[in-house]
Amino acid sequence: MALIQPDLTKELKKYGAFDFNACYNCGTCTSVCTLSTEDNSFPREMVRYSVLGLEDDLKSSLKPWLCYYCGQCTENCPQEASPGELMMSLRRWLTAKYDWTGLSGLFYKSWPLTVLGFILILAAELGFAARLHFHIDRIMYYGHYFEMFSILGVFTIILLPNIIRMWYFTILKRKIKAPIKAYYTAISDLVVHMFTQKRSLDCDDNQFRWFEHFILVIGYLSLLFTTVFLNWFETHNLFINILGYVESIVIFVVTFDFVNSRIKKNKEMNKFSQPSDWFFVIWLFLMGVTAFVVRLFIDLNLIETNSWAYLFHLMILGQWALIIVPFGKWTHFLYRSFGMYFAKIEELAK
Amino acid sequence: MKKKIGVYVCHCGGNISDYVDIEKVKDAVRDEADVFLVKNTLFACADSSQKMMEEDIKTQGLDAMVVASCSPKLHLNTFRGVAQRAGLNPYNYVQVNIREQDSWAHSDNPAGATEKAIQLVKAGIARAKESEALTSMKIATTNAVAVIGAGVGGMRTALGLADMGTEVYLIEKSFFVGGRTAQWGSVAPTNDRGDVLTAGLFNEIQKRSNIKLFTGAELIEKTGSVGNFDIKVKIHPRGFDGTATADDIQKAVKACPVSTTDEFNFGLTQRTAILTPQKGQYPQQPAIDKALCNQCGACQKINSAFQPASTNEEILTLHIGGFVANTGFDPYEPAKGEYGYGEIDNVITLPQLKRLIELNDNELVFKGKKVKKIAYIYCVGSRQDDDEGKNKYCSRYCCTSATHTGVTVKNKYKDILNYHFNRGIRTYGKAELIYGQASQQGDVFLQFTLDSIPQVERKHNKTYVKVKDILTAGKTIETDADLVVLVTGMVPRENVKLGHLLKIPEGRDHFFNEIHMKLKPVETVIDGVMIAGTSQAPKNILETLNSSMAAAAKVNSVLTKGELSLEPTLAKVNPGACTWCGKCAEACPFDAIVQVDNEGKMVAKVNESNCKGCGMCTPVCPTDAIDLDGFTNAQIGAMIDALAEL
Repeated sequence: MALIQPDLTKELKKYGAFDFNACYNCGTCTSVCTLSTEDNSFPREMVRYSVLGLEDDLKSSLKPWLCYYCGQCTENCPQEASPGELMMSLRRWLTAKYDWTGLSGLFYKSWPLTVLGFILILAAELGFAARLHFHIDRIMYYGHYFEMFSILGVFTIILLPNIIRMWYFTILKRKIKAPIKAYYTAISDLVVHMFTQKRSLDCDDNQFRWFEHFILVIGYLSLLFTTVFLNWFETHNLFINILGYVESIVIFVVTFDFVNSRIKKNKEMNKFSQPSDWFFVIWLFLMGVTAFVVRLFIDLNLIETNSWAYLFHLMILGQWALIIVPFGKWTHFLYRSFGMYFAKIEELAK
Repeated sequence: MKKKIGVYVCHCGGNISDYVDIEKVKDAVRDEADVFLVKNTLFACADSSQKMMEEDIKTQGLDAMVVASCSPKLHLNTFRGVAQRAGLNPYNYVQVNIREQDSWAHSDNPAGATEKAIQLVKAGIARAKESEALTSMKIATTNAVAVIGAGVGGMRTALGLADMGTEVYLIEKSFFVGGRTAQWGSVAPTNDRGDVLTAGLFNEIQKRSNIKLFTGAELIEKTGSVGNFDIKVKIHPRGFDGTATADDIQKAVKACPVSTTDEFNFGLTQRTAILTPQKGQYPQQPAIDKALCNQCGACQKINSAFQPASTNEEILTLHIGGFVANTGFDPYEPAKGEYGYGEIDNVITLPQLKRLIELNDNELVFKGKKVKKIAYIYCVGSRQDDDEGKNKYCSRYCCTSATHTGVTVKNKYKDILNYHFNRGIRTYGKAELIYGQASQQGDVFLQFTLDSIPQVERKHNKTYVKVKDILTAGKTIETDADLVVLVTGMVPRENVKLGHLLKIPEGRDHFFNEIHMKLKPVETVIDGVMIAGTSQAPKNILETLNSSMAAAAKVNSVLTKGELSLEPTLAKVNPGACTWCGKCAEACPFDAIVQVDNEGKMVAKVNESNCKGCGMCTPVCPTDAIDLDGFTNAQIGAMIDALAEL
C-alpha cells in the first residue's frame, strides 16, 4: 500500500518537471521508447508514480538512469505531458536524494544559492592568493595540490557515501538478493557504460550526439589525468604538452556546441534547460578554454605578467570541483553507470 | 369474396430466387380458385414493377392483390400505395413474407423453402379472398397540450409549443418551477449557472399568453384519446396570497416553529414549513408546506398574506389534444453504508457538494472543517452489477459533472486537491476538454473495476479511501480525504401515479420508454403522449432540451392539422351477439372498450380513437361477438385452412 503524497508532486516541479499531471495513462511514451523493455518499462510508470507522489517507489527505482532522453516520448505524448523532462527531473531529484549532505537538493532548487557558493569560492581563492601576495608560481604550486586533494576529498567524503546510499535504496531496501559473484560479473557493464555510454546508442538517430558525448568524456577524463598526474602546466615533455592542448580544445569545442544547441533548443532534450544544466556546460567550456589559455601563456612566457588568467582558471576549477562535481550535474556520470551496474546485478539476481 | 386476385412473386434480386424456385411457386398457385393472374418480378418494389401492377389492376380489373416478397415492415405501405393509386382499396392488398421468414431462414434447404413459400402464398391468397375494403376514420383534434413538469425541459417544451401556436398547460407539482437545474450553480460545459438558465426560461414563459402555468398542481384524471383528452388538474393551496416584504418573509421564517431537512440543499441545511423561493425558483413567492405546518398561525400574525389554514383546493377541468411528460430525475440515493454513506459523516453525494459550493463563498467548509482534499468515487448507482443493484445503465452526466466540479472548486477556493476514483472517464463530446483541464490543473485520476471497488474507512480520526489502482499496475493506493464525494447517477423520479394515469410503459430501469430509441425517440405507444428529458433516460441539460424540443415539435405535428386519421384496423362489436361479459374490456390494454346500452341491452362498444387494433379482445369473447377489421376471424380461419391443406 502506498499513500498519495501531493507534496512530492509539487517538489518534483522544483526540479524542472512540468505538466506531467496531464498524463492520461495511454502508454504512448513507453511504447515509443527504444530503451524500454518488458522488465524495465518506462517512462509511463515513472510518470504515474510522480503524479501520485509515491516517494518510496521513485527513490528505489533505477529506471530514470536507464533513460538517455532522446525526447521521443515527449514528442509523441498526446497530452503534452513532457515525460522526457520528467525523467530528467527525476534524475536531478534522485541525485538530491542520494546526497547525504542535502546540498544537492538546495543547489538544484535554487540557482542564487549556487551563485553564492561560487562567490564564496572566488573570495576564498582571492584571500588565499592575497596571502601568497599574488605570487603566481606559488599559487600554481598550491593549485596543483588543491586539484589532487579536492579529487580525493570529494570522492571519499561525498561521492562514495552517496553511491553506497544509492545501492542501499535501489538494491538493499528492495531486498534484491544478489550473489557476491553478480557484483563481480557486472563490473564489466559498469566500466563499459561509464566510459562509452553505449546504451544511448539505442536511442533513435543518436550516433552523432553519442560520438560528441563520447569524445567529451574521454577528453575530460584525459585532461584531468594530464593536468593532475602528468602535471601539464609544468611539464617540459612535448608529447604531454600537445596532448593537453588537444584535450582542452576537444572540451571547449564540444561544449561550445552543447551550449549552442541549448540556446537554439533544436532538440527535444535541449528545450528545457535548468540552471544546473547551464552551469555544467558553461563551466566545462570555461575549464577547457582557461586551461588552454593558461598553458598558452606559459608557453609564450606571458603568465608572469598575466596572473589573472591562472586565477580565473583556478576559480573555475574550484567552483567545478567543490560544487558542480559533488552536488551538481557532474554526478550523472557516476549514477548513470552505477545505475546500469545495479540494473545488471538486479537482472543477475533473478 | 374477391374473385379476381393478382399474385406477384418477387425474386428480390437473388435474395429469394436463389433458394426458392419461383417458377414452381407460380405453377402451384396458378390454378387456385379466384386467382386471375400470376407474375414474377425481379424487384417488386422497383418503379417499373409498381407501374406494371398499377396497369394490371386498372386494365384487368383486379379486386385484390398479393405480393410475395419481403417483410411488410419494409414494403407494406409501398404496395398499399400501388393499390391506392390504381383505385383499389389498400386493405385489399396482402403481403406475404417469403424472404425473412423463408429464403433467408432456410438457405440450407431450397426444396423445403420452395414448399414453404407455396404454402405461405396460398394462405395469402386465402386472406386476400376474404379481405374487405376499409377506410380510415378522421377525428377533429384540439390544439392544446399539457406539459407535465416545469424544469428546464418542461419549460422549453412549453415555449416551443406556444411559439407554434399551441395552447399550453404547464403543470408543476412543486410550488416553484426550475426543477433540478435551479439547484445547480455552475454547469458543464459552458459554466453558465443553473439558476440563470431557469430564470431566463421563466421570463420567456411569462411573455407568452398561451402558456398557463400551474404550480402546486397535479394531474389526477384523464379520459379520452389522442386529439381529445379530458383531464382534471388538482391545484394545492399555496398558503400565501397577497404580498409581503422580504423582511416580513424573513420574520415569518424565523417565527415558524417546525423544521425539517431542506430538500433543495439535499439535506445539508434545515428549513421551516415556509417554503421560500431560492435563486432560480419561480414564482418568487413563498408557499406553505402543508404536510409540515402545525397551523400555529405565527406567520399569519406577521403578515396576513400567509394563510396556513387555507384549504381552497382547486380542481380544473381541461380539454387537450396531447401530453408531454417531462418529469425529470432524482439523484440516486446511496444505501446506508455504501462507501460509508450515512455512516462516516464526511461522505456526501455530488449533488450535495454542488449545493455546498453554493453555500460557501470564500472557503469550502464542511461541518466546521476546512476542506482541502476531496475524493470523488464515480459510478455510484450506475453501471451496477447484479449483486449491487438494478441500475445497469451509465448515467451519462456524472463523469462530466464530477470533473467539472473538480475544476470549479479548484478555481473558487485555494489549495484544493481532487482525487477521482473512476471506472474509466466518459467525458464524451466537448466535455473532453473539461477532463483535460482537470488533468492539467493537477487532479489525480485513479481507476478501478467492479471486482475491487474503493474502500472508505475511518482511522486515526481521518477518512481514508483506498483502491487497487489499475493505472498503477494494480498497486493499492490510499489517500486521506476531508470530503468523500459519491458521484451518484440518475434514477427516474417517483412517479407511479402519473405513469399509471397516462399508461406510459416503463423500461426495466423504470425510466419511461419511447417507441424506438432512434427512430421515434420521444413518442410512446400511447398516441398523443410524448416523453422528454430525464424521465426517459439519464441525460445532461443539452440532451434534455434537445428531446424537449423534439417532443414539442412531435406533439404539435399531430395536433396542428386539426384532424387525425386513424388506422381502420379496429375492433368492432356485433351488438346482436354480445352479451356483455366484460372479458374484452378486461383484456384491452388501452381502455378502448366501454359498456353501453344498445336498445335496452348492455353491450360492449369500441372507442375507436383509443383502439390500437392489437386483437387482444377477439380471442377472449365467448360468443365471437367481437372481430378485428383487417384481421377478421374469417380471414385468419381461411389462412389456417390454406396452411393446413397439404
